[in-house]
Amino acid sequence: MPESNIENVEQFRDRARRWITENLAPVRPDASESLDLTRARDLQAMIFDAGFAGIAMPREYGGAGLTLDHQAAWAQETRGREVPDILYVSIGVLGVTLLEHGAPDFVAEHLPRILRGQEVWLQMLSEPSGGSDMAAVTTRAVRAERGWVLNGAKIWTSLADRADWGMCLARSDRNRSKHGGLSMFAIPLAAPGVTITPIIGLDGGPAHFFQEFLDDVAVPANHLVGGENDGWRVARDLLKSERNAITGVGHGLGLRQSSVGESTNLVAQPFAASTTHADPVLDDAVVQNWVNETVRVELGKRISTGMRVGAIDGSWGSVLKLSLAAEGIRSAEVKLRAAGIDAVIWDSEDPAIPPPALSWLTSRRYSIAGGTNEIQRNIISERILKMPRERAIDNRGLAPEAVGEKPLQGNSRQPDDGRPASKGKGRS
Amino acid sequence: MNFELTDDQELFRQTARRYLAKLTPMGPTPIGSEGPFVIDREAWRAAAELGWTAMFAPESAGGGSLSGRPVSDLAIIAEEFGRQLGVGPLIPVNIAIRALAGDPQRHGSTLSELVSGTTLATWAVAESAERWSPDSVTLRATPVGTEIELTGTKRYVESALDADIFVVVARTGSGLTQVVVPASVGGVRTTRSKSLDLRREFGTVTLDHVRVPLTSTVGALGDAQPAVQQLFHIASVLQCAESVGVIDRMFEMTRQYMDDRVAFGRPLAAFQVLKHRAADLLMSLESAKAITDAAIAALDSGSAEAPALADAAQSYVSDLAPSFVQECLQIHGGIGYTWEHQLHLFLRRATVNRMLLGSPEQRRQALETRFRGWAPEGSLAHA
Repeated sequence: MPESNIENVEQFRDRARRWITENLAPVRPDASESLDLTRARDLQAMIFDAGFAGIAMPREYGGAGLTLDHQAAWAQETRGREVPDILYVSIGVLGVTLLEHGAPDFVAEHLPRILRGQEVWLQMLSEPSGGSDMAAVTTRAVRAERGWVLNGAKIWTSLADRADWGMCLARSDRNRSKHGGLSMFAIPLAAPGVTITPIIGLDGGPAHFFQEFLDDVAVPANHLVGGENDGWRVARDLLKSERNAITGVGHGLGLRQSSVGESTNLVAQPFAASTTHADPVLDDAVVQNWVNETVRVELGKRISTGMRVGAIDGSWGSVLKLSLAAEGIRSAEVKLRAAGIDAVIWDSEDPAIPPPALSWLTSRRYSIAGGTNEIQRNIISERILKMPRERAIDNRGLAPEAVGEKPLQGNSRQPDDGRPASKGKGRS
Repeated sequence: MNFELTDDQELFRQTARRYLAKLTPMGPTPIGSEGPFVIDREAWRAAAELGWTAMFAPESAGGGSLSGRPVSDLAIIAEEFGRQLGVGPLIPVNIAIRALAGDPQRHGSTLSELVSGTTLATWAVAESAERWSPDSVTLRATPVGTEIELTGTKRYVESALDADIFVVVARTGSGLTQVVVPASVGGVRTTRSKSLDLRREFGTVTLDHVRVPLTSTVGALGDAQPAVQQLFHIASVLQCAESVGVIDRMFEMTRQYMDDRVAFGRPLAAFQVLKHRAADLLMSLESAKAITDAAIAALDSGSAEAPALADAAQSYVSDLAPSFVQECLQIHGGIGYTWEHQLHLFLRRATVNRMLLGSPEQRRQALETRFRGWAPEGSLAHA
């Protein structure tokens, strides 16, 4: 779009700031959880009606028709304010993927609803049998009279008990290659034949992840997202958007309160002032932890800036994702050590696991969800560092076209690719 | 190193890179070349003409910043220094210039000589290995009539043998004073130290009842504490930038080697275990660039977060760089273990930088003191 016709960033920032001050409440200091979904939907509707939803998305699809620089300004101005961050996957992952690959009429129908919080979308990629090998999809899509019929099982979806639509990767042609016979479908979760069951996580708490069974689910032809048998490309872009949404860069900027993309202040200090020296070794670890968190915040800013100015591409989100995951584990460990035995044996009627122990117990979440650390390292080494792709014996000898690969990353001579897995959105 | 260099800064970087490549070619180091290491004055004057000494100096002395963000400008050179293992007192001279720029009326002519590269200066601050901070300065500077008398010892002074003048951090009463002391004045004795870094030299400077005119001081007597703190932070982040240059270059070399070296019928780059290690190296390299740039930007903008960010940068980068180079050495295998290969030269510089200006452990102690609100008045950690 012509740059000259759009509002400049600083004018936008002023307008956004005025609106935010009047309409978004400050974050409560004790708030650790995302907003309740109903509340989040209401808040998102307000943001949409004020013209601040989908800031860098086209107007014809309900967006504001501005740029990622405007999005960055919005992210900065909403710091410390309540945002409907539980919707970051629906908007920042599925909304973005729909915009990139959906048929125009279908996008025009659904994207405004996604941006308004009327429809909550999720992704249905991983399967019980697949693990990180996400292209090993066994869910089948068979052509029917007015569209398709889907059968199979999906796993690790977040919010499935409350969401409205899913984007589901299915095998549409079993005679084509592993990657070349997949298609992406939009399916209403209320459709007949969809059964949703919760997965209780290792903390024993309320389910954050779900499993879906699809039994003869009928899907109209226009629900195909992207081309027939072009589903792998759609899935790859979806996963890129997911990494960006988790780490708060690109369209994901400012969708989450914890977004690292554009924070302006230092990470909170790790010690209360004037507390006593407990253990010098532990103290050093705690300060080192603070340093590492600060470094990661700055890494987020660097990668966010690099993407915005076009110096680096979307695959760099994997660097930040890996850093976030690695840092999360290290940080949880140090905090558990600092909390000591009282975090694991406590005298109280309260059955809730003390936060340091709970964080430790669940600290592998981001190193598995959104593509394991190992998959991120594959992406970094292959797409950023252009190192040879992993061989995969289930794909040997196929031409790149057959696996739906576009040679956009340069080094696609080898047909195989260990594609990233989706393990749901890992939001708790 | 950041994604938003101005066109001028980019040109500055490229010019520096070309000049450094000419100045310090990366051939094998002859055995026995461990010094003494003498700075090539002609080469340094040429470097000065390229602007390496200009950033912190006032325009009246021939200086001026490229972008209005002098730390950022100079960090570009520091990073290139690291990439090419540059020789010459880049950080010491610029810290001396920054110190004297606080009192241009008194030190205008010295500043001009430093900017033109005809005079070499270095910053003499540390006295013991344990603490690099203004608090630990004990070298006395006592006014005697129209003169000031200095007695004490400074250690780990970079380019001490080559320097024409020392900017000495001294204690006057309870405060600090910076004093310009010519190397040639009576009572100054300089001894050469050995250094792991084969391209850089350090020395110990002993001042025994050295007398210089009172006008040799920078600013008022006993007022230098804030300036010294600031200089520490600036020197630290410039050193971080240099170390970032070291590991940036190492990463490039190692990545290239992984393509070139074939084992078991395929290049090293095709082994997943090595691909994953390369991915981790890239992550930490980018992290080092990010925190260094953040500290530089904070110092240039005068942000209140600058001291904490500078300490964070030094803690992170100083810890990272030597182990990063060791990991690159491991990926190179046997060739990386040889004297003939240049890799050890980078390991040496990264290792010296880890200790110089205070270890990561000391920086974290400074941060902890800051967090706990135990700040002794005017301590380095609380600038």
